[in-house]
Amino acid sequence: MSARASQGRNVATNSLAQIGHCGLFLLTLLAAIPRSFRYLRETIRQLWFVGAMSLTIIMVCGLFVGMVLMLQLYHVLSIFGGTSASGMVVALSVYRELGPVVTALLFAGRAGTAITAEIGLMRATDQISAMEMMAVDPIAYVATPRFLAGLIAMPLLSCVFSAMAIFGGHLVGVTWLGIDNGTFWANMTAVVDVRTDIVNGVLLKSLVFGAVVSLIAVFQGFTTPPTSEGVAYATTRTVVASSIAILALDFVLTAFLM
Amino acid sequence: MSQARSSYAIGTGLFIVLGFAALAYLATQTSSLANVHQGDSYTVKAEFTNIGQLKERAPVKIAGVRVGQVQSIALASDHDVADVTLSIDKRYNHIPRDSVATIFTSGLLGDQYVGIEYGQAKQVVAAGGSLARTKSSQPLEEMLGKFFGAGGVVDNVGGSYAVTADFTNVGTLSVGAPVKMAGVVIGRVQSVRVDPVKLNARVVLAIDKRYNQIPDDSSAAVFTSGLIGSQYVAIQPGGSPDALKNGDEMILTQSAMQLEDLIGKFMVNGSPGDKKDAGDGKK
Repeated sequence: MSARASQGRNVATNSLAQIGHCGLFLLTLLAAIPRSFRYLRETIRQLWFVGAMSLTIIMVCGLFVGMVLMLQLYHVLSIFGGTSASGMVVALSVYRELGPVVTALLFAGRAGTAITAEIGLMRATDQISAMEMMAVDPIAYVATPRFLAGLIAMPLLSCVFSAMAIFGGHLVGVTWLGIDNGTFWANMTAVVDVRTDIVNGVLLKSLVFGAVVSLIAVFQGFTTPPTSEGVAYATTRTVVASSIAILALDFVLTAFLM
Repeated sequence: MSQARSSYAIGTGLFIVLGFAALAYLATQTSSLANVHQGDSYTVKAEFTNIGQLKERAPVKIAGVRVGQVQSIALASDHDVADVTLSIDKRYNHIPRDSVATIFTSGLLGDQYVGIEYGQAKQVVAAGGSLARTKSSQPLEEMLGKFFGAGGVVDNVGGSYAVTADFTNVGTLSVGAPVKMAGVVIGRVQSVRVDPVKLNARVVLAIDKRYNQIPDDSSAAVFTSGLIGSQYVAIQPGGSPDALKNGDEMILTQSAMQLEDLIGKFMVNGSPGDKKDAGDGKK
């Protein structure tokens, strides 16, 4: 009984310690931003890696999300004779929820894990220590460029995802199911608001998600035990923690922004 | 090395350009920004007694064509009307001064917009001017009420007088149902109860005091508004020189027709006739 209680307390204190550690790490990262301007080229390389290289998966997934959403909506809405509203429902659900959330989950799986594994292996092979020996700040050279790259890449990826989803919805709805093209766009433009849907929905949410996912990925990489097993665990924890953080934050952000 | 570096620089540049292009596309093509005309506009004011669900940036239409949008909605400072400022495209600058601004609803459940119907005046409304003639939004409840005959509430401030009428069947007539003469509501049903001796329905009608010239041989009938509407009492005036007074009883009444009865009669009366016709045809 007491053993179990103390174990539970251990888990609780450990998670609290992780969160506190992560918060302090964020402060270190932010403080290192001015120093990392020297390594602008490294930031661009990371942006290429987490952003440009993720485009394929983001575009394909966006296309299919839009297509399946339209297909489902069409069949439900045809019961009420409201198929003309399906374009606007696709747009609203993609802009407000699916665009930023699915992009962030894909981003955590595609880029977050890679960042954690890379930094973890750098630590395991003592590259971080070597940098410190050469008076290169590993936070400014390794951590901050990756964090900034994630911060910049996420909103852009989210926009690409949403545009592809609209395109997929248009493809299924207008080209295959025969919804009128004019109705599709007119209903969409009538309800989508730039400030609440595109700025607050797509851009702000994905900016927050990008910051959270990159922070967790970099933090897990830096705090992993420098063994091959530790790197494996850290990679798993990046995906799990990012997914929970994304979905929980999504609820909080929606409650505040709507 | 430098070649590899430049290739990822180009890739990153392409990625950023693509991201911003997607953002621009979302913002301008799929959002309400697509409806905002960038051209010059002028403002016109209109006062409405009730704007319903009209919102800022709702469209302003002439003959169904979008010519502008609602710029602002405010309550007038001195009395209880809504001051609505319409921003209209400069291209449409020959709106007659006596045009009527009306708040319409698109469809049954759609959003509301301001429609302008041209008047006959030669002078056009100037920038910053106002449209004096407006029609306010019609709340759906009011329209449905009118449609079902429950609207047009009688002004009971002047008081009413009670008249009783006996019916063999009142159908689903309920307390508060309208009493109408020539289709106009003149009172309410005050009570409906069964007479314990005659075993028929005794209905008390409260009729507005203003209508005190109703002949005392007028007849009362229970009608249904429309096929599925609510029931009401219709009074058909008679020819007597004496008027109904408080506490009088109306002798001539016509009970409610019940749909079941009607269908039953139709079927019972209809079938023998059909048979006879068929027989005639044979002969």
